[in-house]
Amino acid sequence: MKKSNLAAGAEQQYFQRFGPQFRIQHGFLFSSTIGLIITGIPLWCLGRPEYGWSQDVVAFFGSVEIIRFVHRVCAAVLVLVSVYHLLYTFLTREGRREFIALLPRVKDVADVTRNSLYFLGLSKQRPRFGRYAYYEKFDYWAVYWGCVIMIGTGLTLWFPGIAEKIVPWLAYELAAEVHADEAVLATLALLVWHFYNVHFNPSRFPGTLLWWHGRISREEMLHDHPLEYEKLMARKSQTAKPG
Amino acid sequence: MLGDESDGSRAHPIHLIPLMTEEGEKVSSDDDPLLPFSTGKTCGACHSYSTVTKGWHFNAGIAGLGIEAHGRVGQPWILADARTGIQVPISYRPWPGAFRPEQVGLSRLLFLKIFGRHIPGGGIGEQPGEEPSQIMRSMVSGKLEANCMSCHDADPGHNQAEYAAQVVRENFRWAAAATCSFATVTGSAKDMPDTYDAMMPEPPDDPKLVAPAIAYRAGAFDGEKRVLLNIERESAANRCYFCHSNMYIDGNDAEKWSSDEDIHLTAGLTCVDCHRNGIDHNIIRGYEGEADVSKNPLAASSSCRGCHLPDEDESAGAPTAGRLGAPIPEHRGIPPVHLEKLTCTACHSGPWPGEKTYLAKTSRAHRLGTVGVNKSAEALPHVLAPVFARQGDGKIAPHKLVWPAFWADMKDANLAPIGFDAVRQTVGKVMARHELPASGDWPAVSDENIVEALKALAAEQKIQGKAVYISGGSLYSLNGSGQLERKMDHPAAQPYMWPIAHDVRPAAQALGSRKCEDCHSPDAPFFFGRVSVDTPVQSRAGASMIMNELIGASRPTYAGVSWFFKWLIVVIMALLILHILGDLFRRFVSKVTANKPAGTGAGKPGDERKQ
Repeated sequence: MKKSNLAAGAEQQYFQRFGPQFRIQHGFLFSSTIGLIITGIPLWCLGRPEYGWSQDVVAFFGSVEIIRFVHRVCAAVLVLVSVYHLLYTFLTREGRREFIALLPRVKDVADVTRNSLYFLGLSKQRPRFGRYAYYEKFDYWAVYWGCVIMIGTGLTLWFPGIAEKIVPWLAYELAAEVHADEAVLATLALLVWHFYNVHFNPSRFPGTLLWWHGRISREEMLHDHPLEYEKLMARKSQTAKPG
Repeated sequence: MLGDESDGSRAHPIHLIPLMTEEGEKVSSDDDPLLPFSTGKTCGACHSYSTVTKGWHFNAGIAGLGIEAHGRVGQPWILADARTGIQVPISYRPWPGAFRPEQVGLSRLLFLKIFGRHIPGGGIGEQPGEEPSQIMRSMVSGKLEANCMSCHDADPGHNQAEYAAQVVRENFRWAAAATCSFATVTGSAKDMPDTYDAMMPEPPDDPKLVAPAIAYRAGAFDGEKRVLLNIERESAANRCYFCHSNMYIDGNDAEKWSSDEDIHLTAGLTCVDCHRNGIDHNIIRGYEGEADVSKNPLAASSSCRGCHLPDEDESAGAPTAGRLGAPIPEHRGIPPVHLEKLTCTACHSGPWPGEKTYLAKTSRAHRLGTVGVNKSAEALPHVLAPVFARQGDGKIAPHKLVWPAFWADMKDANLAPIGFDAVRQTVGKVMARHELPASGDWPAVSDENIVEALKALAAEQKIQGKAVYISGGSLYSLNGSGQLERKMDHPAAQPYMWPIAHDVRPAAQALGSRKCEDCHSPDAPFFFGRVSVDTPVQSRAGASMIMNELIGASRPTYAGVSWFFKWLIVVIMALLILHILGDLFRRFVSKVTANKPAGTGAGKPGDERKQ
């Protein structure tokens, strides 16, 4: 992300939370993931008579080969964006800064506890978050874990001959099982957890365009990332002072 | 000899020839006594009978032959007896897991009487017995010569079931002739005394007994004592079927009318297009690697790969792939590892695998095609299929399987089956109280029955070590205090398996043709189907094992990972949903308190925003 800018609007003050790098990566990530889910579920259901509807999906696409091809195209996009993200993380200053900000800290554990107490009405004050709240870090690392598992097992299923030579312990059936299980976990987490936070949350419904323009309002900043806001304000006042 | 070498003509050879007796005399309709023709002398007049009878169908019992004569493990004969709980694979071939007939107490004569119905003669059928009494009986019954007519008689009236009927009556000398439409055999050599001479027959003392005799159809002989035999060089599939039929109970092809034919036959080929042989009758069995064992170069090009996959060595002369119109499959999308680790038959042959193995019936195991056969699905022996397991070369192939069940004398770790007669005498007496199911299925044998039978064997038979019972993969024995012990790791208790080759399904019906999950899914029968553990022992009824135990795949790892992920999903989703519910709950509470009069609210303005 670029330096968090203060974008002065006519009525509302906005902050540039995510730069184009982050947004473009996120765009490729979610479009490939949605494609993988749409094609992956019928591929998984195809061998199970109780999911007869999967045949209709096959008919819609034309053939199993076409579904498999689309699934692999989406998989290739996911692999590329994952590799790109790694390079971005380690080779750019912005990437390194974001990565460090996303690393789990002791404060995150304390925040989980405080937030739980707040939910239960045992605390009147919700925790104050910095640039990334613990649940946003969870989102990021869940994708990290998911990509490692899904890409690893997916490549084993795609190239079993090569995989057998490189990772002989990873049997095809094992890879297929892990691939399917992790896909279920990722899909559920995405539809339930991520969609709640960005779409179904009462204060955000029907959704936020943060992923598109990368901007966040001052009000949201104060509520969701007060520590980040204070940090930005402090830096601004420092740069505003002459000399 | 005259008939051994082809002159190159592809025309159907006409066999208007004299029939010869075993003494080498021409048969004439007015002979007295009228004798059956001998294939050895009739066919052997122009074809090298001694060469032919060293071929595959005849050489099992010939001593001194090397492994090249016996090749890959095949279907054994199965001695089954519900009364005594016996189901034991036997063979004269040195196949691991099969006992030689004499090891289970079957004399040559008894073996022929039980199994000769589906043996085309020759080999063991022509060997004299070892004991004087057996030699005397073989004089009465005659030799069970190689029955050339079994395969080469194209007459629609050929009746191979009659051969089986004659064998049971010990009419070995008459059996081949009885299958021909122009001959009728009556009587029974079994009922004749040891002194009976078929060349100079005398009426039996008992008028109820009928001596074996043959009658030839009027007009069968021409003026020169010749008979027109409808002989064909390449046997029709119908001839092969008598001994090589299969029936899968509960499968999709339980009945012929409800199933499809092997794709090769549907395409117009016959059995012998692939299973070829020359005058040596070393018929090609067609399995991969056969050429290395049999040293028959034609075997390499007559296997599945020989016809369907291009030669790897392009300098090896004329290509064989694609012969007889065989399509060359691309196996598009199938990783090459499959072609290295699986036989072609793994995906293309046998019944489509189900959640559990099927009971299978075969001609040779269940007397299919003979008179009075038990048509019940549960009739012994219990052959199971398809069972995916590694064969000798390490490749996974579909198999038929039988669980050995027999009583044995165990000394140290070595087992010697107790003779069939002794078992009938001792164990049969113990088990006599059981009513045998009419279906031919096992009776329910209790642990107490086994204890009683083992004690009886130890008391009544000459047991050198310890009496034991093998069944359903277990070894039962009595410990020092007379309690029954069950062990599952004895090699003799392991199932006997032999590969399935037919029926071959078309490519569109091969495993994996639609999706990888045909085999690669948690509930795919290929890896995780259940193999029934067949045994009469009541306490083990319904037992089964998982297919991958025979393949050597890693079910425990898979199961552990599956368990881990399922709980991971449950725990993580439960926590996430709790978090969402907590957030919603707090929002609700904040909203309610915010609507109350000032001074009663708990939260700060803005606290109800998202988490």
